[in-house]
Amino acid sequence: MSSATWRNFFTYNKYAQITARAVRQSLKESERVVAEKRGTTALKYQQWENGVGGPQVLLNPEEVKKVGKSAAV
Amino acid sequence: MSALRLLSSAARRAPSTLAQQRRGYAEVADKISLSLVLPHQAIFTSKDVVQVNVAAATGDMGILANHVPSIEALRPGMIEVIESGNASKKWFASGGFATVHPGNKLTINVVEAAPLESFSSEAVRANLQEALKVAAGNGSEEDKMEARIEADVYEALQHALGSK
Repeated sequence: MSSATWRNFFTYNKYAQITARAVRQSLKESERVVAEKRGTTALKYQQWENGVGGPQVLLNPEEVKKVGKSAAV
Repeated sequence: MSALRLLSSAARRAPSTLAQQRRGYAEVADKISLSLVLPHQAIFTSKDVVQVNVAAATGDMGILANHVPSIEALRPGMIEVIESGNASKKWFASGGFATVHPGNKLTINVVEAAPLESFSSEAVRANLQEALKVAAGNGSEEDKMEARIEADVYEALQHALGSK
């Protein structure tokens, strides 16, 4: 944690995700594919009003599409 | 008068503690129970090991049996586990926490870790160049800080891979 000034920009959680992503990107090709899947997060949300649900919105569709549907790990 | 009584009771207590602390040199009698876990995998679960070397944010440290209870944040770096004798296994971890519990237990929680053999030096070198370019470029402060953090990880990885 040499550049300790990251505290001005990120929470610890974000910092941990950045370092984890860096480690995953440095693995050998065979292991990297499996590891990258661990890094993706997909969020869907739906606004409800008066008992009726609105459309389900995917928060980051491009990233999820990049990984694609995978067989069971 | 009370001083004499204090002295005699202390003398009665002393020999027992001395006997507990006697250690041999031929083989390590005390081991610490290590649990090294990732969110998706448990590398060790309550395994008795001799020594664990971690890269704490406050400096590198080696943890032996009966360590004082402490909580240490880890920086991206190497975790070395010495199970018995001279054999040691090394992992590179992205960061997390090492907690020594009372009762001779060590728990290391990291987000991402892999054995050193799983890393590719060329990938690390390319990633480092990329990150340094972004860090020195003219993006937003946030992007540059992100790149600076990644560059630190890659530099630590290079150091770990180089000193295998």
